[in-house]
Amino acid sequence: MPEQLWFTEILNHLFAGPVTGLLRTFHIDPKYPQAPITNAVAMEFLVFLFLVTLFFLVRARLSVDKPGGLQHVFEGVHGFVEGQSHEIIGHHSERFTPFLVTLTFFILICNLIGLIPGFESPTAVPVVPLGCAVCAFVYYQTQGFRHHGIAYLKHFMGPMWWLAIIMVPIEIISHLARMLSLTVRLYANMFAGDMVTMVFFSLVPIGVPIIFLGLHIGVSLLQTYIFVLLTMVYLSGAVAEEH
Amino acid sequence: MSGQDDNSKPDRSGWVQLARYSQLAFVFPAATVAGWLIGAALDRWLHTTWLYLAGLILGIIAGFVELIRAALSSARK
Repeated sequence: MPEQLWFTEILNHLFAGPVTGLLRTFHIDPKYPQAPITNAVAMEFLVFLFLVTLFFLVRARLSVDKPGGLQHVFEGVHGFVEGQSHEIIGHHSERFTPFLVTLTFFILICNLIGLIPGFESPTAVPVVPLGCAVCAFVYYQTQGFRHHGIAYLKHFMGPMWWLAIIMVPIEIISHLARMLSLTVRLYANMFAGDMVTMVFFSLVPIGVPIIFLGLHIGVSLLQTYIFVLLTMVYLSGAVAEEH
Repeated sequence: MSGQDDNSKPDRSGWVQLARYSQLAFVFPAATVAGWLIGAALDRWLHTTWLYLAGLILGIIAGFVELIRAALSSARK
């Protein structure tokens, strides 16, 4: 049996049977049928529950006259993301803001949850950043098709028609490489941050780890920002008119 | 195409530039690995033995194309 966090144990205790059954429906045989839910999935689920609760709380307490602290924080993040997307994408960037803000909150909380004892950063496991990158990839390609229709495919064919035969595979690879680079950047930074904090905690348990915890917070914020900002850059390329 | 479009708008923030340039370190190896993975997957699917090499070469070219686009866009600024 793999090492499980307390929250993972609770989830596996409650849902191991149905989850194993569901996986077997798709012809996937879990390595540990008694514990098919991994720590990363459990942490993602916890982040999801936390964010949904938070969104409900903010929604219930929305006030124009007396905005609370939580509303201020959410408005601040929303305004920041909206400003950045307007700067990068340009006009009509507002319709992308809900996706970008959700992505920001999800990645940020996933990065920061590892700082709390008894939890792990799910983004330090490659499949979670890959999932976020796949979401970003599918979203910007969908927006490209929504904006340009079938003409979006012309973007993959290069500047001259006779170059299309070589440009199409190159463009496909470079778009897939974006997904890979988003994944590796987030995963490697969070994994390294966790490792450094753990190594120094085991060497000098008092005082020194605080510095690395601070560094981890900084890296978490920066990597969230870079991930979302690059998603905006890719979105701006997908919906740009001057192709 | 989109790589050029990605960089066609003026940067107003140093942070935006930081994110864009941090991408450069990853884009070349990522494109190479992506090309190799696609080629290897096609090899398994089509029972061939050379497509991984073609994918690898195309991946390297794609990485160079992305790097040159980024360099040209920064030179324009």
